[in-house]
Amino acid sequence: MPTAPAVKKKTGRSGMKKVLGNKKAIALFVVPAFIVYTIVVIAPIAVSFYYSFFSGTPGLKWEFVGMKNFLRPFQDSRFRDALFVNLRYIGFVMVGQVGLGLCMALLFRFWLKRFKNLIRTLLFFPVVLPTVAVGQLFAKIYEIQPNYGLLNSLLANIGLQQYVHAWIGEMDTALPSLIVMDIWSAIGFHAVILYGAILDISDDVIEAAAIDGAGSFQLFRYILAPLLRPMIVTCAIFSFSGTVKMFESAKALTGGGPGNATKSLSMYMYEVAFNYNKVGYGSVIALFIFLMCIVGSFIIGLFDTKEDI
Amino acid sequence: MTKIKKITPKSIISKVVIALVLIIDVYPIFWLLTASVKRNSEWVDYPAYALPKGFYWQNYVEAWTRGHMATFFKNSLIDTLISLIFIVIFSTTVSFACVKMQWKLKKSVARYFQIGIMVPVATSLIPLYQMFVRTKLTNTYFSLIITYIAFGLSLSIFLMTGYLRTMPNDMFEAAVIDGCDIYKLMYYIVVPMMKNAIVTVLVLQFFFKWNDLLFSMTFISKSELKTVQTGLLYFSDEFGSKNWGAIFASISMSILPMLFLYTFLNKAIIEGMTAGAVKG
Amino acid sequence: MKKRVLAALMSTALLAGMLAGCAAPAAAPAAPAEEAVAEEAPAEEAAAEEEAPAEEAVEEEAPAAEASADFSGEDPQLEKHLKISTIWAEDNDNGVLINMIAKEYQENVNPNFTWEYEYIPSADLTQKITTLAAADDLPDIFAYESGKPIVELIEADKIVDIGAELARIGDTDYVTPSATSLLQTLSGTDTIYDLPLGLNVEGFWYNKALFEEAGIEAPPATMDEFEEDLQKLQDAGIQPLVAGGASGETWGSTRVVNAITVRTVGNDAMKKAADGEAKYTDQGYVDAAQKVADWAAKGYFGEGINTVTMNAAGQMLMSGQAAIFYNGSWFSGSLNSEDNAAGEDGIGFFNIPVVDESISSATDYSMNCGNILCLDKTKYDDATAWFLKYFVEHIGDAAMSTQGTIKGYTYSTKAEDIKPYTQLVLDEIDKATGAFTWYEATMNAEVSKTAQENVQLLLTGDMDGQAYMESIQEAADMAD
Repeated sequence: MPTAPAVKKKTGRSGMKKVLGNKKAIALFVVPAFIVYTIVVIAPIAVSFYYSFFSGTPGLKWEFVGMKNFLRPFQDSRFRDALFVNLRYIGFVMVGQVGLGLCMALLFRFWLKRFKNLIRTLLFFPVVLPTVAVGQLFAKIYEIQPNYGLLNSLLANIGLQQYVHAWIGEMDTALPSLIVMDIWSAIGFHAVILYGAILDISDDVIEAAAIDGAGSFQLFRYILAPLLRPMIVTCAIFSFSGTVKMFESAKALTGGGPGNATKSLSMYMYEVAFNYNKVGYGSVIALFIFLMCIVGSFIIGLFDTKEDI
Repeated sequence: MTKIKKITPKSIISKVVIALVLIIDVYPIFWLLTASVKRNSEWVDYPAYALPKGFYWQNYVEAWTRGHMATFFKNSLIDTLISLIFIVIFSTTVSFACVKMQWKLKKSVARYFQIGIMVPVATSLIPLYQMFVRTKLTNTYFSLIITYIAFGLSLSIFLMTGYLRTMPNDMFEAAVIDGCDIYKLMYYIVVPMMKNAIVTVLVLQFFFKWNDLLFSMTFISKSELKTVQTGLLYFSDEFGSKNWGAIFASISMSILPMLFLYTFLNKAIIEGMTAGAVKG
Repeated sequence: MKKRVLAALMSTALLAGMLAGCAAPAAAPAAPAEEAVAEEAPAEEAAAEEEAPAEEAVEEEAPAAEASADFSGEDPQLEKHLKISTIWAEDNDNGVLINMIAKEYQENVNPNFTWEYEYIPSADLTQKITTLAAADDLPDIFAYESGKPIVELIEADKIVDIGAELARIGDTDYVTPSATSLLQTLSGTDTIYDLPLGLNVEGFWYNKALFEEAGIEAPPATMDEFEEDLQKLQDAGIQPLVAGGASGETWGSTRVVNAITVRTVGNDAMKKAADGEAKYTDQGYVDAAQKVADWAAKGYFGEGINTVTMNAAGQMLMSGQAAIFYNGSWFSGSLNSEDNAAGEDGIGFFNIPVVDESISSATDYSMNCGNILCLDKTKYDDATAWFLKYFVEHIGDAAMSTQGTIKGYTYSTKAEDIKPYTQLVLDEIDKATGAFTWYEATMNAEVSKTAQENVQLLLTGDMDGQAYMESIQEAADMAD
């Protein structure tokens, strides 16, 4: 802070205090958002909790059943399957999006010499596409019947007929196919964010390391990785909050199938609450997803050195 | 940078890798666009990757006339833009109040808003739906917009508070000494200074809202109010799986505006995003 | 197959309801009846007298009570706004018909009548309707599914007793007896609570050229012959079977399981399991599922069955990529179209092959009425009744003249030339002496969804018959 005459500083401070302590302004700034946010985001959690003690749908066979809904997940094999699918999805997609995003960001920084902007622009394209559109596009890419889609037709024509697959129609390949799609569509996003962080690292640091004889790997391991860590954690949080809710892309690509091979907790919750009319049990699943979010964010937070708030 | 330039085998590999990445990223989109002008018979007679034998615009006509594309776009725009405006206003004011202004509960309130980052949309879905059914607000723009706003706040406030915290107070002090009240301060000083953070929030939230399927498919059942996402899901029902041409045409139509928008704004988008996110 | 004369009694046929049948997960309703569908007469008159509740409701709600007694004269042109929600887009299938009738009614009869038309994706239908029912906010008229879903609405007293209403307005003759009896057996009532939008039989469609190529002379009549033929086709390098297997359309596959189950366990197999008289995990049910799994394991369903939609499957049959396809008579709509690569006589139909005549006979068909229309009870009044009157009196002719289809109503216009596949279906319907339901008819949403999802795993071999039926039983046990 620049030094200023003592008197002026004092009036400045008190003026600041008056302006920044303006109660009316604070109320105006905070209250509307506070109300909307409380009603739409926070209150429903409490309501979900309340619902979870009932069976049926409000207005239709709505009965208090105590803790019964909380015990259901333990007997419900469909719940277990959905949880397992969801966890695998989170793991793979997060690693893929952030890891490959980082690779791509490094590629921008160190390997990309010409047409930088053009190429970055192109690589960002998938990010701006609507999820459902991407899902439908990939459904066609993976298609096997009635005609081969892009992937199978390429495989068949370069002599890899044995790899032609019903990619999204088989238990083993459906989830990986979905994961590949979601990595594809978000990689550019993470690459751009991480690239920004890399640009913030001054060339001097990197060059100094190079002069000291650090190889590419060492450069990454000892210079870039530590400096990029906060940004990587941020990316991981983005990726986690996108994957934990797993719904749109799976709905658009596989509809949760085959069987329930790609059915996430959110999809199962939706089904239970809206198709089976078990709002109470659906609420239990919803609360479980909430819990998963908290635990997940907490774990990711452990990797972050700086505490935000 | 200068160091690595010298090694030639590496630069070849780098070119190959870049080319490969480009192909993987862009080819599916290229394929989609070309496939959208194929005749249905071409799918049977030629491999899927073959280029179209002509421009069969009929696909687009069909997608447009039967697909109600214009309506879906209008709805998506209304829902998204209105909620974006409010998200930006609310998150700017709340963040400023919680970081720079002086009152007792500011830390708690900031924390309260942050809880929302961890609330998955699925958790609120059932109670919200019941609430809208009871108040007869399903099938209205309002139901979607208010939900979008509320769910956009937490992350936006999180990003903005982070950004504001790194901002020195000198500018505000100078402005106050020059006689600005709090509203002028917001308008003339804070908002311009936070331009990058605002762009970040806009971009992020735009994609989140534009891509929303869960809320829109739950709250909206009227075709006239459907958004692009729900509309697209219903296309394939409508056309059946054999009519690839129309399906590709409708997907293409849904992505073209995004591609245009992005092509024009990509500099601002990428800059805003990197700048804002790094500070956050 | 095409010899018999069109029976006047059975004045019913296919519907153009391609999407009606194809898009809905548990698409079409069917008759669980053992009795002969064709012979049974409607019991509406009798029912009408007994059904007091419906009339009470009418009296309470009717704004123009003085008009309620007499529906024989001129339409009183009551002011009315109707909300109609269906699973057909306005420019599609039944959507066209319903809007056409509404428009004609407005232009020709009642200028004070207005309506709004809403499309609900068929996959969301039961969900939307149950929620609206819970909130007492059902549309005036809405498409729904017969079987278990409609029974739930009847039990909750949400929909109008249409049988009684038709009697009250003096229009009992317009819904054909066969459609009426199907609907009655499906809802387990002696009156109808819904309006039919078709009358279908289901079975196996086959590509004649491929049968010839494999050296098969006549379509199979018994299950053993059927399996031999499947093998012959396979040996000839032809994909023997195709079915709807893509997510959301797997009802095309569960119906193959159903076909075998019914022929080996009995026409009422699924009803018994639903009522608790039998378990889904009983041997007969497991064996039937296992048979489908075995066929899939032998490659009879070709590659990627889990991504094949009903439309794609139909296309494969017509273009000769697969020899046999299970589907309903609404499929003749596609067959009649010029896109049919197999031509006017290239595709044949045979009923589900028989295992034991005493268990399920060769003239027992899987039959249903397609998706149906219901009327909300609280919003129903005399103005709606007048529209209902106009609707039942005109939809038969409208369907016949614009689409050449029969919806389960009488009609006066004769289609000039009945198309070959339409004729084929009429002949099949004519042969029916008994009927049974589709697989999910007696299942609630949860059980039905489990059956439809996991059938994909049955087809890929990730589940065997035992595991599949166990998953269904688990869902049934969890259902309450």
